[in-house]
Amino acid sequence: MEYTWDFGVVLANFPVLLRGVLLTLELWAIALALGLALGLGLGLARVSRRAWLNGTAIAYVEIFRNTPVLVQLIWFFFAFPIILGHQLTPFAAAVLGLTLNTSAYCAEIFRGGIQSIARGQWEGARALGMTYAMAMRRIVLPQVLKRMLPAFTNRGIELAKVTSLASVLAVHEVMYQGRLLSSTFYRPLEVLSVVAFIYFLLIYPGSYLSARLERRLATRD
Amino acid sequence: MSYQWDFSGILRYGDMLLIGLFGTVKIAVISIVLGVVVGLLVALLRLSSNPWARKPAGAFIEFYRNTPPIVHFFWFFYALPILICVNLDPFAAAVLALSTQSGAFYAEVFRGGIVSIERGQWEGAKALGMNYQMMMRRIIVPQALRRMVAPFVERSFELTKTTALASTLAYAELLYQAMQVNSITFRPMEVYTSVAVLFFVLLFTLSTLMRLVEHRLSRVG
Repeated sequence: MEYTWDFGVVLANFPVLLRGVLLTLELWAIALALGLALGLGLGLARVSRRAWLNGTAIAYVEIFRNTPVLVQLIWFFFAFPIILGHQLTPFAAAVLGLTLNTSAYCAEIFRGGIQSIARGQWEGARALGMTYAMAMRRIVLPQVLKRMLPAFTNRGIELAKVTSLASVLAVHEVMYQGRLLSSTFYRPLEVLSVVAFIYFLLIYPGSYLSARLERRLATRD
Repeated sequence: MSYQWDFSGILRYGDMLLIGLFGTVKIAVISIVLGVVVGLLVALLRLSSNPWARKPAGAFIEFYRNTPPIVHFFWFFYALPILICVNLDPFAAAVLALSTQSGAFYAEVFRGGIVSIERGQWEGAKALGMNYQMMMRRIIVPQALRRMVAPFVERSFELTKTTALASTLAYAELLYQAMQVNSITFRPMEVYTSVAVLFFVLLFTLSTLMRLVEHRLSRVG
């Protein structure tokens, strides 16, 4: 193997990659925050006794979990604007696609958590004269949130990986910047390896934390 | 919203989408089979008592769990050929990316199954005078296999979704074929919606099967 590695290009253009990292983080933070909020709504709909609400939430979750994220992103960028009546920017389409996708997974986490609460808790809350909404807010959700933390950390990790697909819509996040650099300077080996390493640096602390969290919660129970 | 749907173009080029569907199934099946081979190897190394085998296997798994698949696709297609001095076609690069990635995840599934078997089973087998190989073959693996089925199928389902990324390398799977049909018919709404539906049918069938298998297994033991 006579190949001589040359990271000069990567070092000289590091600010380009760094700008990509910032956009990746932005995409991740927005999609995660919105996805969690929407996921909570959907999760509540999933445990609702109203059949139409429950049915709609099931359909939503199944659609987003049974199609590839890339297809969803492409649909929101190329197809959705046609019924919307105006063009979405790549960033907006990516945020929309990632948010809806991640909310479907969050909904399942919320549902699982809420259903894992023992019946006695509900009955106790009702015995104290609480309404459904009050019991949910004061009794069930606070207990559930701690229990669901590892699952949400995992979701955050998955989402961080999925943000890289926004590069296909030409959102200038780190994967896109990497592709740009590698085709401009014709150094794909160095650039793409560095991009992989950057993702690893971004994501590994999260999965390390999640593993520790899971172990801690497991020993406490 | 007075959008006029028009599926005539898609129907005319329906065979192109069918070729794509076939491409998706083909790459998924091949990558699952190769992924199992990689996964078994990595799991054996990971379970070994020799740190020179265990540590690299662990690093392999962590690398794949903490980097996005699209980086692997681009790395195998654009970067690896520079190192090995052989050009890879999109199919080969995509299969490499998918099977090494799923191999890392399968390895954890296999290891998890073996590790989950209680100590008492090992001790009991040893008390009966079995050697390591016999214990593995007669006691541990048969029980572990049953526990592996659900996460294994789940991983294969995720892999099938990830095959859509092969479209970024211009491999003729379903999403790529849809892009071609779109560039002929200029009907993104119909084309990308149809593709989403086709993926949904494929993946929903898989996930329904998955749930059935899980249900059966949980009843058996």
